[in-house]
Amino acid sequence: MSIDSAIPRPLWGVMSRLLTYGLVICLLLTGGPACSRGKQAAALKIGLAEEPRTLNVWLASDANSQKILRQIYQPLYRPEPATLKLVPWLAESEPVFDPETVSYTVKIRPAKWSDGSDLTSADVAFTARLIKEFKIPRFSAKWSFVTRIETPGPRTVRYYLKAPTAVFLSRTLIGPVVQKKEWESVARAARQLEKPLAALLNHKIASPVSSGPFMLTQWRRGAYLHLQQNPHFFGRNLTIGGLQLGPHVENLLFKIYGTSDVAILALKKGAIDMFWQGIQPGYLDDLAKDPGVRTISSAKSALYFMGFNMRRSPFNDLALRQAAAALIDRDFILTRVLQGHGQKMFSVVPDENIFWSCPDVDRYFEGLPREDRIRRAYDILTRSGYSWEVPPVDASGQVQTASGLRLPNGAQMPRFTILTPPADYDPHRAISGLIIQEWLRELGMPAYARPMSFGALLQQVKERHDFDTFILGYGKLPIDPDYIRSMFYSKFDRPRGWNMSGYRNPEFDRLANASRKVIDPNQRRELIWDMQLLISRELPYLPIYKPALIEAIREDRFHGWVPMQDGIGNIWSFCRLRPTTLEK
Amino acid sequence: MTLLDVKNLSISYQTRGGPLQAVEDISFALDKGKTLGFVGESGCGKSTIGLALMGLLPPNTTVTSGSVRFNGSDLLSLSEEKLRQVRWQKIAMIFQAAMNALNPVHRVSDQVAEAILAHTPGISKTDALAQVRELFDLVEIPIKRMNDYPHQYSGGMKQRAVIAMALACRPDLIIADEPTTALDVIVQAQILDEIKSIQKELNLGILFISHDISVVADVCDHIGVMYAGQLVEYGHRREVFESPGHPYTQELVGSHQALLGAQCQPQSAPSAAPNLLSPPPGCRYCDRCKEGGDTCRTEAPQWIELSDNHRIFCCHRDPEE
Amino acid sequence: MELNKYILRRLIEITVIFFVILTVLFLLFRLAPGDPVSRMVDPSMTAEDARRLIEQLGLDQPLGTQYIIYLKSFFSGDLGISFHYGVPVLDIIGERLPNTILLFTTSVILAALTGIFFGKIASWHKGKKIDSWLTIGALICHTLFLPWLALIIIWFFGYRIGWFPLNGILSPEIWTDPANGFFIRMLDVLHHMALPLMTLFIIHFGSYLLVMRSSMLETLKEDYIITARAKGLEEKVIRNHHAAPNAALPVVTSVALSLAFSINGGALTETVFSWPGIGRELVFAVSNNDYPLALASFLLIAIVVLLANLLVDILYAWLDPRIRY
Repeated sequence: MSIDSAIPRPLWGVMSRLLTYGLVICLLLTGGPACSRGKQAAALKIGLAEEPRTLNVWLASDANSQKILRQIYQPLYRPEPATLKLVPWLAESEPVFDPETVSYTVKIRPAKWSDGSDLTSADVAFTARLIKEFKIPRFSAKWSFVTRIETPGPRTVRYYLKAPTAVFLSRTLIGPVVQKKEWESVARAARQLEKPLAALLNHKIASPVSSGPFMLTQWRRGAYLHLQQNPHFFGRNLTIGGLQLGPHVENLLFKIYGTSDVAILALKKGAIDMFWQGIQPGYLDDLAKDPGVRTISSAKSALYFMGFNMRRSPFNDLALRQAAAALIDRDFILTRVLQGHGQKMFSVVPDENIFWSCPDVDRYFEGLPREDRIRRAYDILTRSGYSWEVPPVDASGQVQTASGLRLPNGAQMPRFTILTPPADYDPHRAISGLIIQEWLRELGMPAYARPMSFGALLQQVKERHDFDTFILGYGKLPIDPDYIRSMFYSKFDRPRGWNMSGYRNPEFDRLANASRKVIDPNQRRELIWDMQLLISRELPYLPIYKPALIEAIREDRFHGWVPMQDGIGNIWSFCRLRPTTLEK
Repeated sequence: MTLLDVKNLSISYQTRGGPLQAVEDISFALDKGKTLGFVGESGCGKSTIGLALMGLLPPNTTVTSGSVRFNGSDLLSLSEEKLRQVRWQKIAMIFQAAMNALNPVHRVSDQVAEAILAHTPGISKTDALAQVRELFDLVEIPIKRMNDYPHQYSGGMKQRAVIAMALACRPDLIIADEPTTALDVIVQAQILDEIKSIQKELNLGILFISHDISVVADVCDHIGVMYAGQLVEYGHRREVFESPGHPYTQELVGSHQALLGAQCQPQSAPSAAPNLLSPPPGCRYCDRCKEGGDTCRTEAPQWIELSDNHRIFCCHRDPEE
Repeated sequence: MELNKYILRRLIEITVIFFVILTVLFLLFRLAPGDPVSRMVDPSMTAEDARRLIEQLGLDQPLGTQYIIYLKSFFSGDLGISFHYGVPVLDIIGERLPNTILLFTTSVILAALTGIFFGKIASWHKGKKIDSWLTIGALICHTLFLPWLALIIIWFFGYRIGWFPLNGILSPEIWTDPANGFFIRMLDVLHHMALPLMTLFIIHFGSYLLVMRSSMLETLKEDYIITARAKGLEEKVIRNHHAAPNAALPVVTSVALSLAFSINGGALTETVFSWPGIGRELVFAVSNNDYPLALASFLLIAIVVLLANLLVDILYAWLDPRIRY
């Protein structure tokens, strides 16, 4: 058997020729019909950088899933854009605290779910109980001090706490509320299984029932998500936080763009109205030339910092950490690495968080030129018993490149690493690592910047605690500063705990626990500021910078984006965007 | 009547060093029903003549002078299209079957039928295959092996198939290029007998090319001995074989007879072939010739008639001897 | 019978190799640094949360136990639930794989047919201008850097002259409009497929052309080509009927293997064009430590490649009468 006896030769040639031409013609012809736009009502088109992971709100730990789910599930309270203060959202008013029973009472607005049923206290209570029962990750820790939940009325919920806890409003009550009807059966089925939490997390939600401005119409995986206005949105025409709400957009279309380059092209071409992902400053020049595109820079609630391993030598010595802090020139990093798009960080709480950020933290010689910094660092180290083979400042007071730094016990300082994520993951951190390496070497410290794969980096730093220093960052910090406690409380110095530097200070622990219990914000602020001062003096983490968030939009079809910390992609924007009319 | 008349044929091919004379000034004639054998060692140019007659010379080889008349018409001046029609219909070639002369992915019967179909417009595949069957009978290949692939045939069968393929269009002239080389002696004898009987039956002219003078002497009427691109001896087979005139022919005959005759020293030929890029002005066989003298190196050889049917190309031989 | 015995022997070998691959990959993923939970850099994720998740994912068990559990579910057709997506792995593969096959297999077929056709032409006119142009063109295209070429094509055809969409597999505007029927939707997909297909075609057709060309040149030196010419056959017949079938043998088998590998997709192409295929999914799965999805994807590729090798061997025997097992 051979080819020619299977199919007659001439026919083969003709067939393959026809197939090829046919396919080519087909592709060309498709230009025609496909060019026509859909005839439905105008949709706001948004580009996402990655496909959302899931619509199961308990599993959705990634940013893109949360972007979608925030249109759907709503919290009792949320921050308003101008001052970031918490305002009642699903709740009707501020929670009422009863010191005798140590309980909070919350009244809920009249609201409906997208399936027409009422949103009642039963849903709110159910959500809290679900989280507690299944110990849902990312949520359950915020409910650990709530002992009991009651529903005295269809629109009233009462929470009983173990002890007064400051973060109850700011961290617990900003979580999503889900419909009892939707999740009850899922929970019941999951309870029967060997791994109930896994079953709950892996439950596939096809159409989440929404209490928000939009509801899901269709998710075609790999292609797009289509959301439509929710006719039952409780906030329609209400004024909350001083802003009147809509929504005025009928359809949302989320498209996926694998690379920023293509997303930017799409924005310029008009295929999307907004790219919901921060873009690199490198695109700004090009976008400035395009009159149809506008870029908006927002401050982020973020923290990018250098961490020290205080569990072992040499960085268990405060003097060494302070010397390192002296050498780090934040202005340089801001202008050279971030190209001006960002802010310097001095405290672990960003400056923009006006209420909670302590203005008095040590700025470690901000503004001093290079040589003066070296001199200061030299002073700090000499006073603590360090010495050099070649000191950074010679006998006549001239600054020179030092070498052979010796610890107070006389031993040569061993080589140490600065672990960073790789350059393709985050160029800022990788390059900062290299720059800091050079600065430290000028003082004779044998520093070695080591980019490594992110997963391995986290494992080494968080689990094995096997590192000297690192540069990491939190891209999205909550507004409530309780996270400082997670970062530095001695209890959290354990594998996978957030106290990565191994900071153990009983004074700090005391302040941190006290700050949790204090209800009065001003009193709490005193404690929070004290905590920041302590951190800034003792330097388990050295805050360096936070990048600005640059987002790009078109305004020829929709306008009304609301600026806010962490970007314009907030619920206020979605509730207030309007179609652009032709009048100028 | 004269089937093939070649006069002063010279062929050279381009090498990086310059033009190389593969064949120089060959003249011969062949009649219908007669066999002419060309014998010589490898590289002497005998196969080149065969390819030239078929118009199958490789691109870097050209006929530099001479004429070839086949059935009265000039072969060298034919267009490619006309030449394609002459090929196989009038002149066919029997290749050395030990080579890859048959396409391994097609059946043997198809390949033979292809020749018929190409040259007989309007014939149907079935009729062509019927003719193939007849040809296979002629060359004594079992019919049940007709549809096999070439790799399934033995050496002898492949050779027969090649012969059958050559006869497919009933040509007038067959050029057989080393048809029995690489076959064992017994099969060789069978093939030679078959060739002889087919020739008688179909009244073919055969140009038989071989390096084995005994085979040539067995089959051919006339023998031409070639050395270094030149014809050095030409004549009736008995005369050439039994009383070779040129020292080279004597060598060839001698090496053969050593196998059959009484114990005597075999005369082996030193194998260095002459440099054909710049051939010496004199006799090319000079360096190997036992009887050569110094004059042979510089003096150009000439045709010396030994009898009506026998002449040699030598500068040494005394014509009176 | 010989062939059947051969196939049986090969199938047994394939099964053994497959399970070796399964075991090695299984262990590799779990032994490599990092785990699916540690990547979630979320301040609200406490250590208890992480520990609980690890336990729910079954990763706290000893390796041997995990392996046995996996094998048990594997044999009952359950390839596990993706850590990342929370849905069964087979669902994800089932969604993505057809997209990959649609794009990449089509590109292989087009590139192969065109490459072979022009390789044949180039070899036939060796040394002449058309051969030089085709060969140089093939070499240049072959060395182009795919992401760069992809972006250039997107920029030019998608943005500058705007004939084609910039990326993705379909236009939401068209697919969310209920008025558009099946035919329009399919045309939309083809419309989106044009640019990635063009990119893949340009990159890949060169190698088929060059392979066919050199295979033909080798074949043309064979003696049966002289025989064919001596038989007085037309040039076209000699080229297509005698030379090409022999020259095509190694090329056909390499095309068959390329077809098998095409289900791999290409993470680069799929990322730049936002084509929701299995290639990109596989890269994400590995970097997210999504063990079930990564393992299943690799196993899919393994079994397809193993079977394809077997089929190619059989195909070769079918095409070349000299090969018998």
